[in-house]
Amino acid sequence: MKKYSWIAVILLIVGLMLYAKPWSKKSLPSNEFRFVIVSEPPTLDWSLATDNVSADIIFNLMEGLVQYDANLNVQPALAEKWDISKDGLHYTFYLRKDVTWSDGKPLTAQDFVDGWQRLLDPKTASEYAYFLFDVKNAQDYNSKKISDFNQVGVHAKDDHTLVIDLWHPASYFLTLHAFWATFPLRKDIVEKFGAPQWTEPQNIVTCGPFKLKAWEHDYKVVLEANPLYYGPKPKVQLATAYIINEDSTALSLYETGKVDLIRRIPPLLIAKYKNHPDHKNGPFLRGYYYGMNVLKKPFSDVRVRKAFSMAIDRTQLTTLLGGNQIPTTSWIPKGMQGYEPEIGLKFDLDKAKLLLAQAGYPNGAGFPQIKMAYDTRDDNKVIAESLQQQWKQNLNIELTIENQEWKVYIKQLQTDAPPLWRLGWGADFPDPDNFLNLFTSYSGNNLTRWKNKSYDALIEAGAKELDISKRLPIYHKAQKLLTEEEAPIIPLFIDAQNVLIKPYIHGYALNAMSINILKNVEIHK
Amino acid sequence: MSETLKKSNSRSLWQDAWKRLFKNKASVISLIYIVGIILVAIFADVIAPFSYETQSPQDRLLFPNTTYLMGTDILGRDLFSRVIYGTRMSMSVGIIIAFCSLIVGTIYGSLSGYVGGRLDNILMRIVDILYTFPSLLLIILIRVIFGPGLFGIFFALTIVEWVSVSRIVRGQILQVKEMAYVEAARAVGVRHQTIIARHILPNILGPIIVTLTFEIPAAILSESFLSFIGLGLQPPFSSWGSLANDGFQAFKSYPYLIFFPGMAIFLTVLAFNLLGDGLRDALDPKLKNT
Repeated sequence: MKKYSWIAVILLIVGLMLYAKPWSKKSLPSNEFRFVIVSEPPTLDWSLATDNVSADIIFNLMEGLVQYDANLNVQPALAEKWDISKDGLHYTFYLRKDVTWSDGKPLTAQDFVDGWQRLLDPKTASEYAYFLFDVKNAQDYNSKKISDFNQVGVHAKDDHTLVIDLWHPASYFLTLHAFWATFPLRKDIVEKFGAPQWTEPQNIVTCGPFKLKAWEHDYKVVLEANPLYYGPKPKVQLATAYIINEDSTALSLYETGKVDLIRRIPPLLIAKYKNHPDHKNGPFLRGYYYGMNVLKKPFSDVRVRKAFSMAIDRTQLTTLLGGNQIPTTSWIPKGMQGYEPEIGLKFDLDKAKLLLAQAGYPNGAGFPQIKMAYDTRDDNKVIAESLQQQWKQNLNIELTIENQEWKVYIKQLQTDAPPLWRLGWGADFPDPDNFLNLFTSYSGNNLTRWKNKSYDALIEAGAKELDISKRLPIYHKAQKLLTEEEAPIIPLFIDAQNVLIKPYIHGYALNAMSINILKNVEIHK
Repeated sequence: MSETLKKSNSRSLWQDAWKRLFKNKASVISLIYIVGIILVAIFADVIAPFSYETQSPQDRLLFPNTTYLMGTDILGRDLFSRVIYGTRMSMSVGIIIAFCSLIVGTIYGSLSGYVGGRLDNILMRIVDILYTFPSLLLIILIRVIFGPGLFGIFFALTIVEWVSVSRIVRGQILQVKEMAYVEAARAVGVRHQTIIARHILPNILGPIIVTLTFEIPAAILSESFLSFIGLGLQPPFSSWGSLANDGFQAFKSYPYLIFFPGMAIFLTVLAFNLLGDGLRDALDPKLKNT
């Protein structure tokens, strides 16, 4: 009896080995590129998307009138050429005639007008509606002052000519057309299925290099090469984005060859991977900051805001992260015009304590019990714990930490922001206006609730000025106001890109805006 | 004569139990370990060489060495000190929750078992409902209501843990209340509360103590689990579970970050379970013989 059982065990083991061998050797189809996104995309509706996860997908489904090359220069895309009037007020875009939507219908200038109408429609409540406020009557339409969209300065002259009239010259206006909110839209599809169902794979109609093949919520998003794409066809047939919010899980999937690209390395492990041949480091036009809800006590007092900002040694944070991040007290990031590292509230303990005492909390006494919030992520946790300790040590103020999943977190910031919270801001277009406009009183993304008329006026003046030598002094003033005098935010550091990419992947270029462009990706195994 | 006989008899029950317990080597070692770990929890300030929250960024992610016995974490905090303070957190959470659920469970169970009838039926159906309710879901719900912090953890875990205690106590009482001495007390006219407190509870103390030794590690594990999935203690406080959570993402590169807190959880839970086994054998010789 015993003998037989041994034979059975041996047979079982051999069987398992035979079974496992072909399975482990099974090579993956070389035309599928697999990458990681850190959360479920909140939306794939480009009139509504505000975050970089949604953008990672949308930028492959859609294109705009123009696009960036790897150095962030503007290149033609859906528009083959354009004219700008001398005074900078009138733009005429001539569309390519060979572009079709993924359902076979040709792209027309009217699709842009429809997209913009939806973006500006107050019912859509898009946070990016303000992107078009330079266009004639756009703001009035958005604030329901006028109801006839024909009065807004965007018109389809014919099927392939789009004419735009601005109120005033806007130095960055051309780059806006590489941003997802301005992409064309199929009005008939949106109306037929309604939002948000129209972005489901069976309904959505797009015109970029990839089509949405499948969207298995909280698991993966599968993109498939679009056979009707006007440009060179993508080299990979499929591009799959796996939704994995644990950086360490993503890393082990990368290690075991289950994904080809991860764009975040857990802070615990960055030192280990810094010399890895797959590791690529690049600059990033992305600021990391803590915002304060200026409507709530105690941050309604500017002295408290300044004290909190001055009590932080930012170099400690970048040491902890260890991925070439740059500590900063100003807001415009390095690599963008207007970067002035000397602006901002520097680490100054004595002054911070003095300000706190003047605000009525000498040595932190009587300071209310408040919480600081961040969205669940390894690096955010490290930063939050370091800040908590620094404020305790330097100001004798104890804060409680609370973290939430991104979707819940951003909803909470928008509806009822806690006193102190974390966010990052990545460039939508490589112009200082994009960073400073964020904190205007009319910006939908300004969650500090800080409103300042002279700041708004400066940003408007900067946008209208086409001469860069005159713009920069304006932005100098605006940055001083934002990060020194009023301080509704605590800028901490400028992020850096740290990615791991398999050596057999070619054609994936890092750009400082971290736009995830997959159409040139090739796999050579 | 009869007086002394009675005394020596009652003493020898517990003496017997002690004797049996001390014969069980695993239980003795566990008992010593538990006493030791309780002392560590009480004197954490004295034992820990550093504070649990002092960060020294220049000393981050060091492997165990002579200064930092268990190494340092990503923020440069001494892991040894954090495990020591974590002991205090985990042990007090374990003990407090076990006692709370013991008190609630005992009162509820005695009421149900002693009164019996329709009340018993109702009370036990409530217990059944609580039993079938997914405990993790319940804990998360309660944590959402109370927000982060220690009180929420105590409350949530007590609500989940007391149920099994009440069942055990009820079962014991059902047995004991039919005994002749209880009937005798009732016949003499002793009040119900007195009967439960004086005559029944002392006789089911054995099983209750055993339950307690199993409840404590269960509570420690639950708290560790909650902290591990991020619903437990908020930083900078540490319990073994939250320490393990911090360490687990890099267990291949920095294995010590999860090894030490994991070991602490493992050994403590094991020790309580071994002691509980020993106590059950010692207090209930009938069970041992079967």
